[in-house]
Amino acid sequence: MAATPSKKTAASTTKTSSGSPANPLAAKPGSTGIDPRGPRFGAVITFVLLGIDVILGLTGPSVEAGTSWAVRVTDPAFILLLVITLIFAWGTFAGIQRHPYGVLFRTLIRPRLSAPTELEDPVPPTFAQLIGFVVTSVGVVLALLGVPYGLVVAAAFAFVAAFLNGVFGYCLGCQIYVLLVRAGILGRTRA
Amino acid sequence: MPVREWWIYPKFMDALTASLALGGLVVLAAASGFLIRAREGRAKILTNAVRVTPEQLGLRRGDLPFGSTATFVQFSTEYCAKCPATRVLLAETARAHPGVRHVDIDVTQRPDIAQRFTLKQTPTTLVLDEAGMIAARIGGAPRPDALARALDIARRRDHGSYTI
Repeated sequence: MAATPSKKTAASTTKTSSGSPANPLAAKPGSTGIDPRGPRFGAVITFVLLGIDVILGLTGPSVEAGTSWAVRVTDPAFILLLVITLIFAWGTFAGIQRHPYGVLFRTLIRPRLSAPTELEDPVPPTFAQLIGFVVTSVGVVLALLGVPYGLVVAAAFAFVAAFLNGVFGYCLGCQIYVLLVRAGILGRTRA
Repeated sequence: MPVREWWIYPKFMDALTASLALGGLVVLAAASGFLIRAREGRAKILTNAVRVTPEQLGLRRGDLPFGSTATFVQFSTEYCAKCPATRVLLAETARAHPGVRHVDIDVTQRPDIAQRFTLKQTPTTLVLDEAGMIAARIGGAPRPDALARALDIARRRDHGSYTI
């Protein structure tokens, strides 16, 4: 981070052209690489839960204006979205390596699969968890405020993102990062 | 019973309609997924002769970062799932072709560079010819065949609209 961009890029260029024997896909030093199938497995669970939440939301009181507090906080769609949000928070702040679905993947799924052909840097999927956390948090807040369809719309956005990740392996959260950099929201630590 | 206007007091949706709505969402997500998959990694051939200088990439001219026949300029960020794999592909392709170099630019700290090249996703790869003109632009992880075609065009002297 402290290095100037020119030095940084020059260093990385020489590193890539010299053809180091180490796995270039591996995580940066100081963090361990993860099996890329782990976050994808987690995304499948996430989009199934979000799909259930969309149904609960559409058939429940969250689409209605003027509901009471008691109705809002006991709405099953609200409770499920809150749980999903807390799991996103876990993945964001504890890191994707300590994600509960990751533990599930390692204990139940991974032993039945062949060894991963490559390990992935855990930083991008952790960032994607943050994006998921932000989107579902908006849904939770809108549901608490009693904004009709707020919960459903947020759950639907998160559903599409998790579906693209789980089914197509496309990390929408990671793609959004460069747009946030361009907008000057993220990444400008350089004076 | 008073008539309830749906936009003021939406009635709860019945389970069947809600399932249909979710089905619509699945179709939408799957369609976007197929669209992204179809577009990702393809080479867009540019013929409007835009020259890239090392300075614009935050590199110093003294570094001699560009290749003598062609250059792959890869734009990456820290939070980019497919950048490492792209780095491997571009570095290996550059090694296999004499005079071709690969430069990886991390734009995480350089919003100005991301803005100048209107990056909509990372990785984005520019394939430059020997004069530093952008011959092709590849959004997303490049397909090997698209990369080979882009490199072929960059190494050609006749670019259709202009000749170097």
